[in-house]
Amino acid sequence: MRSITLKNLSKSINKQSIISNINLTIPAGKFFALLGPSGCGKTTLLRLIAGLENADCGQIFLGDEEITHHPIHKRPVNIVFQNYALFPHLDVFDNIAYSLKLKGLPKEVIAQKVIKILEAFHLEAHIYKMTSQLSGGQQQRVALARAIVNEPDVLLLDEPLAALDFKLRERMLIELIDLQDKLKTTFVYVTHDQFEALTVADQMAIMNHIGEIEQIGTPKEIYEFPHSSFVARFVGTTNILNGKLRGIDQEPEIEIPELGRFKVYMPHKREWMKEGQDLMVSIRPEKIFISKKVPPNFSNQIKGVVQSIVYHGRSTQYNVILANKMRMQVFEQNEEHFAQEVIDYDNEVILSWQKENAVLLEK
Amino acid sequence: MSNRLSRVSSLVIVSLTYLFLYVPIVVLLVFSFNKERFPAPWTGFTFKWYNELFHSLYLWKAFANSLIVAFFATLISSAAGLCLVFYAAQGGRVGRYMALFYGNLIIPETVLAVSLLSFFSSIKIPLGLTTLVLAHTVLGLGLVVPILYARYLELDKKLTEASLVLGATPTQTFFKVTFPLLRPALISTALLVFIISFDDFILSYFTAGSSAQTLSLYILSMLRSGVSPVVNALSALLLFLSSFFVLLFFSLKTRVRIF
Amino acid sequence: MKSSSSQIPFATGAPALIWQILFFYLPLALIALSSFIQLSETGEFEGLTLSHLTNFLTPTYMKVIGSSLLLAFSNACLCFMIGYPLAYFLAFSNKKYKNLLLFLLIVPFWTNFLLHIYAWFYLLEHKGLINQLLMSLGIIDTPAHLINSRFAIMIMMVYYYLPFMVLPLYSSLEKFNYSLIEASLDLGASWSNTVRRVLLPLTSPGIRAGFFLVYIPSFGEFAIPELMGGDKFMFVGSVVAQYILGEGTGSLGSAFTLLSCAILLVSAILLFLAIGWILNPRRHRV
Repeated sequence: MRSITLKNLSKSINKQSIISNINLTIPAGKFFALLGPSGCGKTTLLRLIAGLENADCGQIFLGDEEITHHPIHKRPVNIVFQNYALFPHLDVFDNIAYSLKLKGLPKEVIAQKVIKILEAFHLEAHIYKMTSQLSGGQQQRVALARAIVNEPDVLLLDEPLAALDFKLRERMLIELIDLQDKLKTTFVYVTHDQFEALTVADQMAIMNHIGEIEQIGTPKEIYEFPHSSFVARFVGTTNILNGKLRGIDQEPEIEIPELGRFKVYMPHKREWMKEGQDLMVSIRPEKIFISKKVPPNFSNQIKGVVQSIVYHGRSTQYNVILANKMRMQVFEQNEEHFAQEVIDYDNEVILSWQKENAVLLEK
Repeated sequence: MSNRLSRVSSLVIVSLTYLFLYVPIVVLLVFSFNKERFPAPWTGFTFKWYNELFHSLYLWKAFANSLIVAFFATLISSAAGLCLVFYAAQGGRVGRYMALFYGNLIIPETVLAVSLLSFFSSIKIPLGLTTLVLAHTVLGLGLVVPILYARYLELDKKLTEASLVLGATPTQTFFKVTFPLLRPALISTALLVFIISFDDFILSYFTAGSSAQTLSLYILSMLRSGVSPVVNALSALLLFLSSFFVLLFFSLKTRVRIF
Repeated sequence: MKSSSSQIPFATGAPALIWQILFFYLPLALIALSSFIQLSETGEFEGLTLSHLTNFLTPTYMKVIGSSLLLAFSNACLCFMIGYPLAYFLAFSNKKYKNLLLFLLIVPFWTNFLLHIYAWFYLLEHKGLINQLLMSLGIIDTPAHLINSRFAIMIMMVYYYLPFMVLPLYSSLEKFNYSLIEASLDLGASWSNTVRRVLLPLTSPGIRAGFFLVYIPSFGEFAIPELMGGDKFMFVGSVVAQYILGEGTGSLGSAFTLLSCAILLVSAILLFLAIGWILNPRRHRV
């Protein structure tokens, strides 16, 4: 397996820029996820790596080898399409054996490899069926098997689980993780579903609407320490407070009109942080404590009125209205069957959070 | 980069093909304005051949005949096809008879023409416009019925079910829901049948007899008597007419799968 | 929708069926039958005979049928070789050009075909445009013999039948899922391999339809060979026309028609199977 490096990659279609100046290194042998909203260009990026599109400018490297102008069929890169693109005129065996036959391997070797992979994917029973006779999940596995049987350096996956139902998707995600672990092939997984991305990725990149990469990091880094409000909002839900930075040298605080001052955590000063600077603070809903009475030991508190309650099974979501008409979301885990304190509609509540749980974002 | 090579070569093939298709036509058009008769080269611009064309009585008679035959053939075959679909919509089992209409594809037109000629003469129907209409309608049926029925099968059943649920009778449903949905296909197929009948040669050659002459047969007689710029002028006219019809067809914006 | 079938009389659906049977199958059946009927000089029915048919089982007539088959087959092949790239180009071209190109393709298709014959006549004739051009450029001294030749017939046949091949191919290619081509390339197949293993097999319904729409009518074609080939070449159509329109040779004409039709159908079935076999070869199970 090899790493993928993209240098200054740009692509426009019909005079519209899809991606511009992308610089990215995807580490070898890791499960990499590319997350972004629909239409952001992530599929285009994938297709550029596969060779299905040609970049307007920039370079693509596989390890040390530049493959920018290599034709599709010469790249040791395979792609699993969103609609699977299984050959309808070939059965399961021939679909999987397709790339092996092209290499001219002897029949026995081909059969051996195909059967081995069918067993790994639990598809032996369907070996001679036509692909239209299979269920969605089975088709997906055939598409996967077909793409890895010839041991490519890189496997690209374009929203492969989009057509599956929830439970199946969860199962497939785990299977994919195990697969990548076993094969050690570089996986590049493209999706707009942050749950999928967070589940599978060793490393991930977030792309925004205009085809730029906002942040690269591990799922935890991205979730807990987003660099921008886009990332904070796109991955998971968050509450964003707007205000000005005060007390930068002693006790840093954010001043929010009508609400007051709240302590913030600033482990390292960044260049853009100046006294009076406009900034945003992101607080994840699960990190806020909701109660009717003021709890001890919290650095920050705010008063509000419960507007709506949504029961999610594992957690309850409270939408609370603050004094400045802003809304904040709180997720509370339903730890007990019978809670000590019952919070209801129109209750006055106190929202509390620790200053370390708020992330500073540049405006 | 084999991709680029194949793109260039396909562009070359396509341009050459279109050139091949249009060079004769363009030549014909250009020389319809030539002062001198064939085979003289270009001597000057003139409208006189068009003039001669418009004054030729036989031509207009033939043209009218072709129009009449095409019109009735289209009318009858479309109506018959629609009735068949109506019957199917009411639950009639039509599917097994569909194969009958594919016969038009398996039998060459010459064979059909010859058979009809013998048939007409044996039951003593005089050859003329009537026999032409009878023959051309068969041509039309072979197109209308398969296409319309296939289109009918493609319709979303839920639409008719919704109509029935809302209180319409099956007949009302047909006229208020099914027919409007079929109309685009019907119109474009009717157009196709009209053109095929209008341009038809082989069937007309055998079933027209000596009394009726269609445009195709008229052109044949002109061809036999030698090359004449009047035919060029006629070609220009008919080309213009065809373009108009094709434009009509395209403007219908139907994605009718003829094949 | 099964409940009301009894209420609607069959008569509503019948007109189309009756017409088809009356004016298509009945005449054909009559022709088939009359091939076997022996009539006396006065037109009296005498009995059944095979003599009309056996009359044509001679090398001369077999040659006529053979050349028609060859004409039809070569026409279909040429139309395919030109038509497939054309249809491919049309199907995958930019939307703005697609309609224009389709329009340009259909206009000649919907123009009277005799006029096309005339147009090519104009070009290919002894004193026609091509010869005039070549002579004036000094490339040749005497007019080239272009008209009244197999070459002229072939050109006209392809010219007329090309849209019949292109349109079904186009229809098939338009519905084609392009990501299958991408998948094949991605898995390591070159373009030619992809065409052979993926594109052609999956467009075989369109290919079959195209072949049929060209092969079968081409067989019975007589106007084009006669007008472009003079009287030098005998094809099935011309022989049939001669006999049917002639005096007292009606039965012979029917017999020859029946014979040629039968041979045509057999060859068409073989062609159908051959295309299927070439495009989708059954491979051994390992």
